Amino acid sequence: MSDKHEFILVLFLLLAALVAIVFVYVYLSSGAKSSQKEDGKGLNNTQRFWFFLLLTAALFIFASFTIPKSPYYLFEKESPSRVVFVAAQQYYWALSSEAIGPGNPGAGEAIELKRGELVEFRVTSLDVNHGFGIYDESNNLIAQTQAMPGYVNRLRWKFEKPGTYKVLCLEFCGLAHAVMRASFTVR
Amino acid sequence: MMERTTLARTTSIWIIAILLLFILSVVLGIIMRLSQGGVISQSPVVFYSQMTTHGFTMIGIWFVAGMVGVNYLMQRYVSAPVKSNIFALLFTIIGVVLLWVTTFVGKFHTGWTFLYPLPFKIAWAGWATPLFFVSLTILGVGWLVWSVSLLMAIFKKYSITRALAWQHFGKNPSFETPPFILITVITLIGVITCLLAAVLLIVLFFAEYFSSGTFVNDPLLMKNLTYFFGHTIANEMLYLGLATLYELFPEVSGRPKWKTTWYVALAWNCTLVFILTAFFHHMYMDFVQPESFQIVGQVASYLASLPAAVVTVFSVLTLIYRNSIRWSLTNVLYFMGVAGWVIGGLGAVIDATITNNLVLHNTLWVPAHFHTYNAMGNVLFSLAFFNWAANRFAGIGESGGANRLKIALLLVGGTGFLLMFYLGGAYSIPRRFNIYPMEFSLAASFARIAAVFAAVYLAAVLIFFWDILRKCLKLLTYSR
Ligand code: HEM
Ligand SMILES: [Cu+2]
Repeated sequence: MSDKHEFILVLFLLLAALVAIVFVYVYLSSGAKSSQKEDGKGLNNTQRFWFFLLLTAALFIFASFTIPKSPYYLFEKESPSRVVFVAAQQYYWALSSEAIGPGNPGAGEAIELKRGELVEFRVTSLDVNHGFGIYDESNNLIAQTQAMPGYVNRLRWKFEKPGTYKVLCLEFCGLAHAVMRASFTVR
Repeated sequence: MMERTTLARTTSIWIIAILLLFILSVVLGIIMRLSQGGVISQSPVVFYSQMTTHGFTMIGIWFVAGMVGVNYLMQRYVSAPVKSNIFALLFTIIGVVLLWVTTFVGKFHTGWTFLYPLPFKIAWAGWATPLFFVSLTILGVGWLVWSVSLLMAIFKKYSITRALAWQHFGKNPSFETPPFILITVITLIGVITCLLAAVLLIVLFFAEYFSSGTFVNDPLLMKNLTYFFGHTIANEMLYLGLATLYELFPEVSGRPKWKTTWYVALAWNCTLVFILTAFFHHMYMDFVQPESFQIVGQVASYLASLPAAVVTVFSVLTLIYRNSIRWSLTNVLYFMGVAGWVIGGLGAVIDATITNNLVLHNTLWVPAHFHTYNAMGNVLFSLAFFNWAANRFAGIGESGGANRLKIALLLVGGTGFLLMFYLGGAYSIPRRFNIYPMEFSLAASFARIAAVFAAVYLAAVLIFFWDILRKCLKLLTYSR
């Protein structure tokens, strides 16, 4: 599990446990010997207003923190030193350093990338939707983009660790979806 | 007293049909997990037709389950439609039968999202593609007529502004909109909008199918339309369940009815707007989509889910906290359902954050969170309503009978089953893989463990079914 996945899982499990504890606690608090407040109101109007305001503020802060880290802005200001063309098809990947077309089917080409260089994957599909998912040597998903017919999605990435990276399909594309794969190396 | 109206009879037929289809679909789900775990071996065709059937049937039945509850409870406020309800029942049965024929006989297997242009890359019987769209059309027509007639029934008594509770934004509103009406109206507007999008989508598919190559669709537009429909329906059906919760939870608990206040009105009006733009989060990994849509997607995803959740959780918790509550199966199910909904929602909000989506999209994290707010949220809301209604139909009060056992089985089975999906997601295991590649050494074990827990969940469902069936049959077999 990558650090990022681990963080997400732990965060989720903690939050889920918190919710469960609150619900169990409230459930146990109900019973015959309770205080019987008839109005059922916990907070007054001003308190509610502040609660809402705080919640909204928290959301916007969280959004403004995370949105700039979106993949669309990754290495936006730099220009890639390497371009890899990717064409997906039921049920294989073609990866090539040259544009893929009738003259260059791109299959069978071994792709080698350099550590730390900025790579741009230009990903498309020749038939249905596929998902270009990059997995590292420990089988962690590190980045992805969709392979869509008629469009080219550009994913920029810098590989810091050398090794063999796998490409798996992350959009259901038919019978052999689970075995549609490719790989490339980083030195 | 037994209730012998046509609406009650129709409702009980719906309940029996829904639970039967639910049991079959859970069995399909368990078979899929066994297959992914390598316990049984299935060809990809069989696996994926099964997956398509499971997804479609589940979405379909829990949508209609919400509609059934809302339609039934509506008679407390307005004159509730009965004809369109029966019409929808017939169309749903025909639509579902045709759908099962396309998937099981025709081997149609695009997944429930039938993402363009996959339905045209025919790897099944040639007739299955047109029949699939015909069955969707039948379901769409039945549901559209039904939801419009429900909305019209409300508008006959409440003006649009009052139905949306806008007078609550002013000082000292002279008129109070019941929360049930507010939530139902907000939800039905969303339902009708997304069903109309589905109609457009089907028309575009048919246009290309019959144009013999002269008309070709735009894949990005089709993807947006698909998720506008798919995401929205999957969310709105949960709100239908919540509408019944707002109506029944305080009542069954023996507490005063909830009132609409400015923040309740605000939260649900927010939901109306933002739910219709949150679907953009399904296209985060389509980098060609305009960036503004992506940001709208993230912000709307937060704003669509959180206010409604916070208001509901607040209302439910303050109703119970240190109060004397008449606990019964109905309100325990609603209570647990809210917890499940919130926990699934947290998983969803994490995934709706673009940077996380980069490493979670289309991994098992996705079925993890949506199964949480379905199997442990919405399903429990509907079971709560079913249980309440069945007791009413049979003319008996809330009864004991194996309640502890049912709840324990649901909780243990559901939690274990879901945890395996979350772990799978955290280990980057892709969703919709019929077999797991060697690299994912834990994937098959997760699937096997999940199958065991899902069987425990199924046991609870079977007990529910038996109990509710008996009560509903009592009404149906009662001779006039
Ligand atoms: C214990 C009960 C259930 C079991 C065992 C089960 C099992 C499964 C499995 C194994 C998958 C395939 C996961 C994958 O992508 O690898 C799946 C997908 C799905 N399930 Fe369930 N499920 C259950 C309940 C539900 C419920 C209550 C819903 C309600 C909406 C639901 C809706 C779906 C949908 C929409 C899909 C996606 C189908 C697709 O990818 O096209 N499931 N389920
Ligand atoms: Cu593929």
